[in-house]
Amino acid sequence: MSTTPDLSVEFAGIPLRNPVLTASGTFGYGVELEPFLDLRRLGGFVAKSLTLEPRHGNPPPRIAETPAGMLNAISLENVGVEAFIEEKLPAVPDGVPVIASVFGTEIELYAEVCKRLTGVPKVAGLEINASCPHVKAGGIEFGQSPDALGRLVRACRQATTLPLVVKLSPNVTSIAEMARVCEGEGASGIAAINTVQALEVDVETRRPMLSNGLGGLSGPAIRPVALRMVWQCAQAVSIPICGVGGISTGEDAVAFLLCGATAIQVGTASYLNPAAAGEVADGIAAYCERHGVASVRELIGALEHS
Amino acid sequence: MSDAVTPAAPQRCVLRVRSNEPERGCIRLVLEAPDSWPAAAPGQFVMIHLSGTGVARHDPLLPRPMAAFRLTGEGSTEPDGTRCLEVLYKVVGRGTALLAECQPGDSLALVGPLGVPFPMPQPGEEAVLVGGGTGIASLFELARTLRDAGAPLRVLLGARSQDDLMALADFEALGVPLELATDDGSAGHHGLVTAPLEPWLGAGSPLRIYACGPTPMMVAVAELAEKAGHPCHLSLENRMACGFGICLGCAVRSRGDALHLVCRDGPVFDAKELDLGALP
Ligand SMILES: Cc1cc2nc3c(=O)[nH]c(=O)nc-3n(C[C@H](O)[C@H](O)[C@H](O)COP(=O)(O)OP(=O)(O)OC[C@H]3O[C@@H](n4cnc5c(N)ncnc54)[C@H](O)[C@@H]3O)c2cc1C
Ligand SMILES: Cc1cc2nc3c(=O)[nH]c(=O)nc-3n(C[C@H](O)[C@H](O)[C@H](O)COP(=O)(O)O)c2cc1C
Ligand code: FES
Repeated sequence: MSTTPDLSVEFAGIPLRNPVLTASGTFGYGVELEPFLDLRRLGGFVAKSLTLEPRHGNPPPRIAETPAGMLNAISLENVGVEAFIEEKLPAVPDGVPVIASVFGTEIELYAEVCKRLTGVPKVAGLEINASCPHVKAGGIEFGQSPDALGRLVRACRQATTLPLVVKLSPNVTSIAEMARVCEGEGASGIAAINTVQALEVDVETRRPMLSNGLGGLSGPAIRPVALRMVWQCAQAVSIPICGVGGISTGEDAVAFLLCGATAIQVGTASYLNPAAAGEVADGIAAYCERHGVASVRELIGALEHS
Repeated sequence: MSDAVTPAAPQRCVLRVRSNEPERGCIRLVLEAPDSWPAAAPGQFVMIHLSGTGVARHDPLLPRPMAAFRLTGEGSTEPDGTRCLEVLYKVVGRGTALLAECQPGDSLALVGPLGVPFPMPQPGEEAVLVGGGTGIASLFELARTLRDAGAPLRVLLGARSQDDLMALADFEALGVPLELATDDGSAGHHGLVTAPLEPWLGAGSPLRIYACGPTPMMVAVAELAEKAGHPCHLSLENRMACGFGICLGCAVRSRGDALHLVCRDGPVFDAKELDLGALP
């Protein structure tokens, strides 16, 4: 006898129909994937990171394939917060929680965008993308300095009443320390991880594969790294964690839940299969049925180890 | 003939390989297309991923963009009438080398049809189609559509040598005016496609130029067309990750310094919109 498992979770104060969100920058502004996927099959989605003003990214080539992964250097390209609110959000179907992702080159710019998004219908929460180079600090990512990260989270926390998720950069020595800083400054949750800084070279031309030189690695290649970091964050803080990195199946997602994640995000997998996030949700349900798990919440942090 | 065909909504579908045989200049991949699989408009493409069997395949990770060469079976050219999508490709790297290993009965995951199709010529204009390398595949449906509509057209195909001229038999079977150019002179004009093109452009009658092929060829064609005052459409073959506008990986620069996505705003562009010097 099997009953339909309960997939609902609450992440950072946001009730989700299931733990599956989509990762920022891999799902456009939501509606691009509508021909392939009913958004109501997902817990919600995280939109492309927004800056105060619209921005162009890097010149091509911006992407390169690597073993079981890809590198990207799109940089800051986005429509800007106003166009997102005026043009993109209205097209999102009702009942789908939208988490808006925020970034900027200065703390004040992040805070401005947070303010602008607060109170906007359909926006259920904010995700702070801390992987942006901090111009005043010579280009080091906010998420790479505990001090800069702390000041960033404090300013954003003061700028909004919405649930505030901080998305951590994996390009650090101790992700646990960064998670603790966020918890200390009042963040409602953690998302981990953003792309892993990497380099690929074309030996024929002796040049980097990307115009930008360095890029961010994503896809199945980074999944064990992301899993390790989620597990370390879960050991360090009591705010909920959203696992991101290389997830393309229900089993991948379950691994993150077992390591302590409350929700997960599907990223690069949507490029190869625009229905991937829906299939991950179905895969989690199938896992629960197979293992007699009545509620997906039983899986959170249930990793057995000695 | 002035309206562009309205493209069908794209789908994701697993298609069975009927055959995957080498022929002159390319490999012809024939995929069985269910009735629900939408027909592509001329110039549209599909993303092909090497995992249709349900077994996750992470390497190569990304799908590859390929022109929807043609759909057979609807107008029924296939003997048993099965609806088939044909794709013609050259092996240039790992992805296409692995695609070449596919056997009849294997499955491939496809997303498509994608992209903005070629605009049709205005009444009174003659269409001139210039194809080179793998770009030849992107022009066949346009040639067929124009021929079926009785619209005037000429086709000019270029390749390194006679043995590299893909789809030659298909274009010959259309019975449209056809010129060839090869780098080594083994077929048609000896040299670049621009040599036979130039005198046509100056002949005085209104033309609309369509080009797809290596970047230097397209740039040369676009420059000649602009000098002669003829509208010119280029179909770009950039690297892509998603093919439907969400990764922002396929951007090209426009003359106004804006960025266009090749997969969503193209792959067909008015040559005047593009910064030709910045094409990859
Ligand atoms: C809209 C569109 C339609 C296309 N239609 C066809 C088609 O009908 N038939 C066909 O054979 N090919 C077509 N292509 C090109 C095809 O997508 C590439 O040849 C293929 O992705 C190469 O994959 P690979 O893994 O074999 O090569 P890789 O290992 O990725 O690369 C091998 C070499 O090819 C070069 N290369 C890779 N991708 C491209 C590219 N997109 N354009 C130019 N050079 C590239 C690389 O720089 C490298 O030198 C099309 C591309 C686009 C965007
Ligand atoms: C092309 C591309 C663009 C991305 N853009 C953003 C972005 O704007 N903001 C952000 O926080 N993360 C961005 N990411 C990172 C993803 O959200 C995700 O953290 C990362 O890709 C790891 O997950 P994955 O392996 O499932 O893709 C981007 C990733 C890719 C591949
Ligand atoms: S290929 Fe992803 S946006 Fe064009």
